[in-house]
Amino acid sequence: MAERNAFPFDYELFDFSNGLRLVAVPLPWRGTASVYIVVHAGSRNEVEPGRSGFAHFFEHMMFRGTRAFPPERYERELQRMGASSNAYTDDDRTVYHTTLAVEELDALLAMEADRFQHLEYSEEDFRTEALAVLGEYWKDSAEPLNRLHEVLRDTAFDVHPYKHTTMGFLRDIERMPGMHGYSLAFFDRFYRPENTTILIAGDVAPAQARALAERHWGGWRRGSYRLEAPEEPPQQAPREARIEWETHTLPYVAVAQRAPAYDDSDPDCAALDLISALCFSAGSDLYRRLVIEEQWADELWANQVDHLDPYLFTVVARVKQPERLADVRRAIEDELDRLAGSPPPQERLEQVQSHLFYRFVLSLNRSDSVAAQLAPFLALRRTPETVRRLFETYQRVTPQNLAAAAAAWFRREGRTVVTLEERPQ
Amino acid sequence: MKLLVHQDSSPLLSVRVAFPAGSAMDPPGSEGAAWLAGQMLAHGGTRRRSYKQILDFLFPRGASVDVSVDKEMTCFHFECHAAHAAEMTELLAEMLCDPGWREEDFRRLREDAVHSLEADLRGENDEELGREALYGLLFEGHPYGHPCQGRVSSLRRMELSAVREFYTAEYGRNRVIVACGGAQAEGAAARLRERLSTLPARTRSDGSVPAAPALRRSRMVFVEKPSQGTALSLGFPIEVSRGHEDYPALLVAVSALGQHRMSSGRLFQSLRQHRGLNYGDYAYIEYFPAPMFTLEPEPNHARQRQIFELWVRPVAPEHAHFALRLALYELEKLAATGLEDEEFEAARSFLLRHQILLEEARSAQLGHEIDGLFYGTGLQSQYLRQTLPELTPSDVKRSVARHLQPDEIAVAFAGPGMEALRQAILDNAPSRIQYSSAKPDWLLREDEIVSVRSVPVEEQETRVVPVEEMFE
Repeated sequence: MAERNAFPFDYELFDFSNGLRLVAVPLPWRGTASVYIVVHAGSRNEVEPGRSGFAHFFEHMMFRGTRAFPPERYERELQRMGASSNAYTDDDRTVYHTTLAVEELDALLAMEADRFQHLEYSEEDFRTEALAVLGEYWKDSAEPLNRLHEVLRDTAFDVHPYKHTTMGFLRDIERMPGMHGYSLAFFDRFYRPENTTILIAGDVAPAQARALAERHWGGWRRGSYRLEAPEEPPQQAPREARIEWETHTLPYVAVAQRAPAYDDSDPDCAALDLISALCFSAGSDLYRRLVIEEQWADELWANQVDHLDPYLFTVVARVKQPERLADVRRAIEDELDRLAGSPPPQERLEQVQSHLFYRFVLSLNRSDSVAAQLAPFLALRRTPETVRRLFETYQRVTPQNLAAAAAAWFRREGRTVVTLEERPQ
Repeated sequence: MKLLVHQDSSPLLSVRVAFPAGSAMDPPGSEGAAWLAGQMLAHGGTRRRSYKQILDFLFPRGASVDVSVDKEMTCFHFECHAAHAAEMTELLAEMLCDPGWREEDFRRLREDAVHSLEADLRGENDEELGREALYGLLFEGHPYGHPCQGRVSSLRRMELSAVREFYTAEYGRNRVIVACGGAQAEGAAARLRERLSTLPARTRSDGSVPAAPALRRSRMVFVEKPSQGTALSLGFPIEVSRGHEDYPALLVAVSALGQHRMSSGRLFQSLRQHRGLNYGDYAYIEYFPAPMFTLEPEPNHARQRQIFELWVRPVAPEHAHFALRLALYELEKLAATGLEDEEFEAARSFLLRHQILLEEARSAQLGHEIDGLFYGTGLQSQYLRQTLPELTPSDVKRSVARHLQPDEIAVAFAGPGMEALRQAILDNAPSRIQYSSAKPDWLLREDEIVSVRSVPVEEQETRVVPVEEMFE
C-alpha cells in the first residue's frame, strides 16, 4: 500500500502574467487531446438575492457567440473537428470541455479564447436561452432525487449560496429573461484569467500546450472583482423536511451532516471520504443488511463531495417498502452515531483505502476521463498535486481518526433529514 | 465462440463477454427472463460465493462486474487493475458458468426489475417513458414489444425456474463473443475460453428476429401523468441497419438533422436555439441506450431491427402540439431538399473523426468490435472510413427520400393534459406560440405554416393511457 501513486501522470503548471494558469498533462493515448476550461465560478458565486441558478444560465450564454464566431459558425467548426464538447456548472465551478483530434487543438483554443474574451449576444437571444434553461428544469423535475437535494440544501443552509442547487430556485429561473444587464456584469466579474484554469491533457507536449495557450489567451485582461461568500453559521439543532411526491415513487431518505471544506491534508476531510465507503457503499455492513439481507432498500450511498466552503456529508437510501422508511432512516442514523465510539479494525480501514485508490485509478482510462477526474480538483486547488496529497492523507488516516471525525461531524444538532414519499391518494 | 484479444502494457485489463441472448428471446408470458438471467449472473451469488462475498471481494479492488441486457444481446463486462487480472477473470468465469441461483438473490433482483418499471420508468424519467412507449407502439406483438426488463405482471409471476431455464437454453458457447484488452489480456481470454467451453454447445434461438410489424396507420399514445413538461418521441421502423447500402447516407442525414447532444443539428437549432422550446432535440437511426444520461452510446445494444427516432426533450405542455408539428416539419424539409453541401461536409467530417473518440477507451473499443461482429461491418470507425468518403449529397437525398419519408408515423407523449392534446391533434387545432422576445420575420412566417399544419391520425389509432397501466 505504501508507494501508491493515485495520479500516475507527469504534469506541468504555467502561470501567465494575467493570472491565468495552464495545467499541461501529457498522456499515453495517441492522437487525442482534452481541453477543460475551469472557471472558478459556480452557484457559490450567486450571493445576491434572486440570482440563484445564474452561473448555470450563464454557461448557456457562453454558446451564444461572438462577432468572429457567431453560434452557427462555432457549432459548425466543432462539428467539422468531430469534437466531443459540452459544459457543466457545479457549486464551485463551471467547466467547458472538449475532446478532439490533437491536430485541431490550435483551432479549438483560438475559438475558445475568442468567446471567453469577446462574448456578445443580443437581449432577444438572452431571453430565448432563458426558456431553454426552464426546459432543462422541466426535464429534471420528474426525478425525485433532484427535488430531494433541492429541499435538503434549502433546509440545511440559511445564508450560504449552497442553499440552492446549481439549477437554482424555480422562482429565480422564471425571472431570468429580465436579467440581461446582470449577465453582462456576471461575465465581467468572473470570466477573467485570474479566475480560470485551463487543463490540456492528451497527446501534447507541455511546451506546445504552453505556446498555444500563450498565443490565444495571453492578451486576456485581468479583472478586479472579489467575491465574498457569506459564512454559514453553525447549525444549532437538528432539522427536518418532508416532501410529498405527486406520482408513484419509492420513498427516499437523505440524512446529511455539516462537513468541513475541502482540505487535502486535513485528516477529518479524508476520514469522511473513507467513512462514506466504509459505512454506506456496496461494500459496507449496512448495505449488506438493508439491501441484500432485509431487502428494505434497493439503493444506499453516501457522498462527501469536496467543496470550497463547508458543505454536507450526505447519506441517501431508496426504500423498497414504504412502511420501512422509518427503519431505514433509523439504521442510517444509528450508523452515524455508532462510529464515534467504535473505530473500525485496521484491516477494514486498509480495504477502504485500497477501494478508493483502485476506484480512482480505474477511472483513468482515456484522455477525456483523466481530464474529467482532474477538473473538480483544479477548481478547488488549481493543481493535480492535490490529488496526490489527498490520497497520501487517506493512507495516513487511522481508525482513531475515523472515530474522531465521526465524533466531530456527526453530531445530532448538525443533522438534517429529508424524506420524500408518494402523496397518499 | 469468438475471441478478440488485444494485449498491451496498459495497467488495466478490460473484459467483455457478449451472449446473443436478450429480451427478444423471452418466452411469451415470461417477459423479463433474459433480464433476470443477466442480473442473477452479475448481481447474484455463484455456487461457491454468496453475493455478499462477491461484494467483499470486489470492494478492496475498487472493481465491479456490470451487465447490460438488451433485445438481442447480454454483455458482461469489467475493468480491473493488472494486479487483479487473474482473480477477476476467474470471478467472471464463475459467474457465467456456475451461478448460485439463490432464492433470496432472485427475490431481490425480481423486485428491482419491477421497480425499474414502476418507479424508475413510470415515475422518474418521462423522457425514457416516452421512448419506451414509442417502442411499445411500433413493436406491438413483436419480440421487441416489451421493455428489456420485461413487464410488471410477468415479472411478478416469474419463478426462478423460468430464469434458469432461459439461461440453460440461451447461454450457449456457440455464439458467445469474448473480448479482452490491455494487461494480461491473452491469459484472461485463454481462461475464459476454457471455462466457457463447459456451457451447452448450442443455444435454443438461432438469432433470427422477425421484421418490425408494418405501420399501416399512424398511431399515437398519450401517457397521462402529472408533470411540469411533456416528453415527446416519434418514429417509424426502417429497414436500414449497419451494412445496408443506405446506412452511411442515412447516418450523415440524421447527424445533420439531430446529432446526439450536439447543438449543430437542424432540430436543435429550430426548436431550442431559435425558439427556446426545450433543452434539446435529436434524431437517430440506431437504438441509443439511455440518451439522457450519456454523451456517448454504450456499445453492445446491437439490434437487427431499427427505427428512425426523433427525441424531443420535455416542452411546456401547451407547446407539445406545436413541437410535434415543428419536428415533423423539419423532417419533411430534410426529405424535400436534402442537405446543403456545407452541411453535408460538416456532418460527414464529424462522423469520420468523432467515432475514433468513442473507441478510445479500451473497454469501449472492445464493445464496438463486438458490435462490428454482430453487424458484420467491423469496427465502426473503420466501416465509416471505408464508406463515407465516397458519399455525395445526392446519395443522402436519395436515401432520405427512400427511408425517411413515411406515410405513417408513431408518436408517444408523456405528460399532463393528454386528452386535451389528443383532441387538439384530432381537430387539427392551431397551436400558435407567443414569444417573450422579438423574433425574426422568417421565423414568424415559418410558425404561421407550422402552427396549422395537419398531423393526420385516425381517432381509433390514438389512446390516452394512465401511466399506471404502462408496461403492465
